[in-house]
Amino acid sequence: MIRNTFRKEVKEIIRDGRIKIAFGIVFLLLAIATWISGKQYRSVNEQHAEAKAAERLIWDNQGEKNPHSAAHYGTYAFKPKYPLSLIDQGVDKYAGSSIFLEAHKRNEAQFSKAADQTGLARFGDLTPDFVLLFIIPLLIVLLGYNAFTKEREMGTLLLLKSQGITIWKLIFGKWLALFTPIFIVTLATFVGAGAILSNLNDFGVFKWEHLGVLCLVYLCYYIIFINLVLLISSRAKKSGVALVLSLSIWIVACLAIPKAASNIAEGKHPYPTRQEFAANILMDKKEGLDGHDPWNKQAKLLEQDVMNEYGVDSLHQLPFNFDAYRMQKGEEHNAEVYFKHYNYLKIQFESQSKVYRSLATLSPFLPTRFLSMAVAKTDYSTHWDFADTAEKYRIEVQAFLNNDFAENSTYGDWSYKTGETTWKQLPTFQYAPLKLNEILWRNSSNIASIAFWLLASFGFLFITIKKF
Amino acid sequence: MYKYNFVYELKVLVRNGWIQLLSLLLLGLFCFAAFNGSEKVEKRKLDIQAAKTEVRESDHDMLMLLDSVEQGMEVSASRWTIPTSPTAVGNYHPRVADMSPKPLAFIAMGQSDLFTHYVKPTMTGDDFTLNFTEITNPVQQLFGSFDLSFVIVYLLPLIIIAFSYNVLSAERESGSLKLLASQPISLRNWVLQKISLRFFWVALLTIVILTLVMMFFGTNTNLKDWFSILGITIAYMLFWFTMAFLVNLQTGSSSKNAIILLGLWVVFVLLVPSVLNQLGSTLYPMPSRTLMINEMRNLKAQTVKRQDEILDNFLRDHPEYAINDPNQNRKFYHRYVAAQKLVKEELKPIINKFEQQLQKQQAWISQLRWISPAIVTQQSLSTNAGTSTADYENYRGQVIQFAEAWRTHLVPFLYNNQSFTSKDYDHLPVFTYQPLKSNDSSLSWLVLLVISIVLGATSIGLSSKSKSSSTLAT
Repeated sequence: MIRNTFRKEVKEIIRDGRIKIAFGIVFLLLAIATWISGKQYRSVNEQHAEAKAAERLIWDNQGEKNPHSAAHYGTYAFKPKYPLSLIDQGVDKYAGSSIFLEAHKRNEAQFSKAADQTGLARFGDLTPDFVLLFIIPLLIVLLGYNAFTKEREMGTLLLLKSQGITIWKLIFGKWLALFTPIFIVTLATFVGAGAILSNLNDFGVFKWEHLGVLCLVYLCYYIIFINLVLLISSRAKKSGVALVLSLSIWIVACLAIPKAASNIAEGKHPYPTRQEFAANILMDKKEGLDGHDPWNKQAKLLEQDVMNEYGVDSLHQLPFNFDAYRMQKGEEHNAEVYFKHYNYLKIQFESQSKVYRSLATLSPFLPTRFLSMAVAKTDYSTHWDFADTAEKYRIEVQAFLNNDFAENSTYGDWSYKTGETTWKQLPTFQYAPLKLNEILWRNSSNIASIAFWLLASFGFLFITIKKF
Repeated sequence: MYKYNFVYELKVLVRNGWIQLLSLLLLGLFCFAAFNGSEKVEKRKLDIQAAKTEVRESDHDMLMLLDSVEQGMEVSASRWTIPTSPTAVGNYHPRVADMSPKPLAFIAMGQSDLFTHYVKPTMTGDDFTLNFTEITNPVQQLFGSFDLSFVIVYLLPLIIIAFSYNVLSAERESGSLKLLASQPISLRNWVLQKISLRFFWVALLTIVILTLVMMFFGTNTNLKDWFSILGITIAYMLFWFTMAFLVNLQTGSSSKNAIILLGLWVVFVLLVPSVLNQLGSTLYPMPSRTLMINEMRNLKAQTVKRQDEILDNFLRDHPEYAINDPNQNRKFYHRYVAAQKLVKEELKPIINKFEQQLQKQQAWISQLRWISPAIVTQQSLSTNAGTSTADYENYRGQVIQFAEAWRTHLVPFLYNNQSFTSKDYDHLPVFTYQPLKSNDSSLSWLVLLVISIVLGATSIGLSSKSKSSSTLAT
């Protein structure tokens, strides 16, 4: 019975011209989107490698100067692009890709791509995630809205019943007929993307199992939609009504709720403006030690402490350059201030994420979107992770330079200079993203939401079977 | 017959709850969206206000300090922050260059979640690294905002489709079409009447609700604003009703009509904009920002090595400052400002390239926006709201000009080794934002209106040619 239903449904799908056109369009869109993203991915990666190498050269060849001048001259950390960004670009477009690392200051990532685009970009980009998240669910609606209503309208439902059909077999047959074409399209996309990625020369970080997990996430998302569409179709009296209802679900889940969620999250837990944030930091910095200012109250205290500790009565008698020591202490104070304020941002971000998670019960789109970005390493958490690693590196760089200054010169000697050998000793910036199991662990609530949606939609479908 | 038809339709629409549902739905959507928009505008205003208050307070402190110094008193501030030095004023007491919202800003979020609405350019800061982006959770930017522009551009067409996809097919499916065909009215006129009545109701409700929303949420909105927003909304709605009319005339089944209309929606609202955007950025690609950083760093490194030489050249170009240059009295900032000027000039072509490419993309899209009425509507709404790309570009340009004015005002003090005094305070430059003057939006709604009417009229013309056959075919 399952096989017969399946065969009949598939035959109908194949014979329907509209569905053929719809599938053709979706395939074409996916192919174009993947091709464009692949091209962009390659060029961004080349630029990234070039910029990284050039930046290190600039640092090494900056010439003879005081270590503190070098600290002000600073260096850049560039955010790498990960292979699965080919499938899901996530928030990459909105988060900057380079962070300037300098003395005394933690900087935000600069130059987001969205800021360099026109207002049209806000409609969305033609990327695989756009097709996967929005268009394929729409395709499911078009394929399945009349799965049961057409039987009802043509009167074949009575015929089926009179033949002693087991209802669950009928539903399962229809379910399979709906799932198979979607499964094929999805699988083809992911295999295609995998082929592109593994053919790139510098694909070092690409792993098939990551792609597999991503594929699974999307398949779960589609199964939820298939269940919902079949559920509506089995309950509705007319095809038109079933179509409008299924579409409303699509609009609410994919368009309205994410946008409303964004407003609610932002309204409830707002970020300070950039200028406010900077002003607050400045205020806290002033309270503490200013590494540059020997007349500062905290600096005087430090002087006394250090002299007492070493049992000397003049800063000149210290075995190291006190100017550099004071700057290092100032740097440590600044780092604490930044840590405190960025932690506040992080708390806001966590609260906003909670809003999204709680709204995930209203829309399967939300957990899918977040999980997909997380696995593709294009989500906001990855960006935070990168920014935190860059900040840690910045603190290390400052300590390295201040120590060099302190050890190799005496108090008051601002004319001390060092050169290439010192610069070359500075370790390079390394960033290793989270492992897949860590990412999944962090996103366990999103996984739970998807599981909830899967179970609930299957459950409802099962209940309707009994009433059928 | 026309009268009967109207009265009948109205009764049906009221009795099956169509009008009640529509009013509630529109009212709910418009109010929620307007509330979201006005909340953001309110925050924007408060932020600017706070920044200005802060500057006023810090100015007060600065004047006190100046007064103390001028009276020869000892002050406890750090040496380099004492405002007798022009660089201290230029760097520690910058002005607020703010972009205050237009009265209609709550209509469309536009680009306002990407960019900051006030900056404080300093004397020795670099214009090209002035950060105009705002710190936000990028997820919000990715999802976008539930604003009026979203309701009008995305949801209104769907509501229209949901309420008019089966005007004719429902009659056929319920069997009443045969009865209708026996009446002395052509099918085309009959569909036109039904659709027009629906258009009339949706338009009326939208006008009433939009007016209420604008009265309640908008401040200082004038009649012209009201007119341009309503104009573009009505024109856009008319376009979708025309589409519904065209599809209904084809007399397919209800679900076939719905699928076709939905396909049109996907094409016009989702696909065309993203394809155009993709094409625009492929045709006029943005140069790489990361490589720009490299270039900037190289230039800076070179200038640092040649600082003295650069300052000499600078003084040769500006003999008025050279008189006051006792060579030994050169300080860090003398060299720095001269070097900065050079870096800025050399980097200019690279920076300009970004602006040029963006403008080219913008121009290209402007030409092709007529392919999709959704783009026309979105652009027109965000232009009216003052949150379009062009608005922010205009603001950036004005800020950079102001930064230059700020610098050129203070640089003579530096090179003349002249102290800044409390008398000079009143002459400090002040920033006032000049919003873009646009008359483009009034044009676009007219054009859209004409397009819809022409489309509708041609379809009537076409169907009247085959009038006899279409009546028979039913």
